[in-house]
Amino acid sequence: MIFSSRKKALVLVLVFLTFVTLSGLAETEKPVRGGELTVALPTEPPGLDPTTNTAAVIDRVLYNNVYQGLVRVNRNGEVVPALAREWEVASDGTLYRFHLKQGVKFHDGSKFTAEDVVFSLNRVRGGEVSVPNPEYFEPIEAVRAPDPLTVEILLSRPNSSFLFNLARGDSVILPEGGSNLTTHPVGTGPFEFVNWKRGSSVTLERFEGYYEEELPYLDRVVFKFIGDPSTRIAGLRSGGIDAIAYLNSPENAISIKESPSLKVLEGVTTWEVILSMNNSREPFSDPLVRKAINYAIDRNEVIEGATFGFGEPIGSLMSPSNPNYLDLAWLYPHDPDRAKELLKQAGYSEGFEATLTLPSTYDLSLRSGKIVADQLEKVGIKLDIQKVSWAQWLERVFKNASYDLTVIGHAEAFDISIYGNPDYYFRYDNERLQEVLSRAGREMDDSRRGKLYAVAQWIIAEDVPSAFLFSAPSLPAMRETVKNWWKDYPLPVVDVTRVWKES
Amino acid sequence: MLSYLARRFLGLLLTLLAVSFVIFLVLKVLPGDPAQVILGINAKPAELERLRAELGLNKPVHLQYGSWLFGFFRGNMGQSFFYEKGVGELIRSRLAVTLPLTLFATLLSTSVAIPLGTFAATKKGKLGDYGVIALSQIGISIPAFWLGMLGLLFFSVQFNLLPSGGFPGWGTNPLGSIRSLVLPAATLAVIQSAALTRLTRSSTLDVLSRDYVSTARGKGLREARVIYKHVLGNSLISVLTLIGLQIGQLLAGAVVIEMVFHLPGLGRLLVLAVQQRDLQLVQGIVTVLVGAIIVINFLVDMTYSWLDPRIRLS
Repeated sequence: MIFSSRKKALVLVLVFLTFVTLSGLAETEKPVRGGELTVALPTEPPGLDPTTNTAAVIDRVLYNNVYQGLVRVNRNGEVVPALAREWEVASDGTLYRFHLKQGVKFHDGSKFTAEDVVFSLNRVRGGEVSVPNPEYFEPIEAVRAPDPLTVEILLSRPNSSFLFNLARGDSVILPEGGSNLTTHPVGTGPFEFVNWKRGSSVTLERFEGYYEEELPYLDRVVFKFIGDPSTRIAGLRSGGIDAIAYLNSPENAISIKESPSLKVLEGVTTWEVILSMNNSREPFSDPLVRKAINYAIDRNEVIEGATFGFGEPIGSLMSPSNPNYLDLAWLYPHDPDRAKELLKQAGYSEGFEATLTLPSTYDLSLRSGKIVADQLEKVGIKLDIQKVSWAQWLERVFKNASYDLTVIGHAEAFDISIYGNPDYYFRYDNERLQEVLSRAGREMDDSRRGKLYAVAQWIIAEDVPSAFLFSAPSLPAMRETVKNWWKDYPLPVVDVTRVWKES
Repeated sequence: MLSYLARRFLGLLLTLLAVSFVIFLVLKVLPGDPAQVILGINAKPAELERLRAELGLNKPVHLQYGSWLFGFFRGNMGQSFFYEKGVGELIRSRLAVTLPLTLFATLLSTSVAIPLGTFAATKKGKLGDYGVIALSQIGISIPAFWLGMLGLLFFSVQFNLLPSGGFPGWGTNPLGSIRSLVLPAATLAVIQSAALTRLTRSSTLDVLSRDYVSTARGKGLREARVIYKHVLGNSLISVLTLIGLQIGQLLAGAVVIEMVFHLPGLGRLLVLAVQQRDLQLVQGIVTVLVGAIIVINFLVDMTYSWLDPRIRLS
């Protein structure tokens, strides 16, 4: 490339300016050590053992703050080293060898060794305790510790999600023989557990023996469980609370953003809000009807009404925070005339009636469901809305699939494979998709696996076993002085390891 | 008197027994499986079955109730699934918030309502009376959560005089604990005193029209003495009944205020327990509440005879 001398000078100036700005940034953004951070969460954890209970709020409080796994998910959704410093995978994908970090201690002072890994993984796969997601560990054939700093995991068959599953809160490493973990967690993370005041808060404090010496930046973190959104926001404004982990009332984001001392980060989550259909019931077993419903829905209107415009339209069950994500929301644009036409083809020119079961505990589901019902009514589908409690929803919709339609958020990270399970409450049986998903599950080559997941997303987006609405926004809100918070939530976690507070 | 007490106590036991049985049945009939709530939507049937066994949920219903009842009479109220803690311990820790809050609110509301209601009655049809009626009408119509929110915005967000919710705990910060109860108690008191003021006014008016009041006035007693000596004691009987009812209501019914001010009280615990299908916890709380309400009723009955010696307990 040849530049004229003037251009050269310009380039030099630009380079210089960039350099100055960057170094300036680096200077002002130097983390401050110390201080206490109060974080508000809307729900309280039911027990503090992330391995035996599915509640996402347990991970929110403990993941990477108190408990660590061999690997972890970072703020970009990538799997990176945690307790393991590096690892090798055998070429056939059935043997993982992890080399562990040295000098790691548990909060009770005991040394972390390979035996703790063997204990933790055998505990969740061995049937001693009930775990919510046994399929994460089902491929494991054996876990062994050839020496105190090496762990070998043998799989019965290659499983491409295995490493990601090891990075989940379900797979954290507990001290061998640890007890009372549901009420007193002991991990290897940068914060140690201090107390849990039932109905009110969990307090964590800096663990002096943590192996990354500069971490954590904060001295203390208090998670407060405040159910009422207005109370959380009043706390943020009055200074009693430094950060709200996520605003489940997005309408408040607008007024918080206007306040000069507060800020809101707009990122993505793994929380996909969808209209699930019972594919084993008439008329939802007919792809024409499912497509008609998809054309009848105006996703942007749903997002506008349910989350005040925060959130991204989706066309399949994959979070925009996932590296495999493919934008397919354009496949079924809002087209009520097309919807009516398809209904006519399917033999429902007069429309039909169905019930829409909504879980009353989830605001986003309720709001989205009401808007969807209104949109479907315009093409002749009359929905009878039935609100049920969460326990009832689990029993009626999830367990017995005794429903027509429901709106629900699927919060698990990377859960597209549920469409490959014909017994899942969608009751969706598509052999081609099942084949693609199971091949993707065995494929160890990253780029080929990526292609298989792309194909799977296409099949789902095209055949629409559900109507995909939007990916819920992350919307953490905090005081301007709180720095380095995660913008996106690729896992439902509140990792405050590297968060710091301007003094 | 002794036989009266014995009969009351027997009544208490039978009511508790009946209530606990009904609650148990209702929770059994309600859809919702605690194991599914704990393990979530990805759990396999085998895992659910194992957890049910662990929680004792697959035993026959009469055995489950029987073992709960047996434990209860030995002072063991069972375990909470959700918190994995003893039910008795959980209830005790919540009463440490709920009892002071109830007392505080009741003291505030009675000390405002009784003088105000009596004052209005003595000024019947005059400006003061209309003022009190208007105020109490406002108090009755305001929703508690809204009043609480206003208080929060005014005293906490705007002027930073009081905490914006939460409860530090008596052990760690007694002064802060009192401060955190001020706004919620005041909110509850406003709502409660409105109804109480109206009742005080109407029952005072009722007593004021009695013959013996005219007699008292006729023999030349000062009005203040008439009110204090002859009216108040009689008019307070119905007021006391309402206070008793209100205390019972506050024990579990302050849940909205507990939400707004983020207080770990008994009401929130009960709501959570029902949502989570936390069987033993619901049973424990309801049994304690029913017991408390019966005891309060008993105490109210006792004060009747103290206020009006003509009333005999038998």
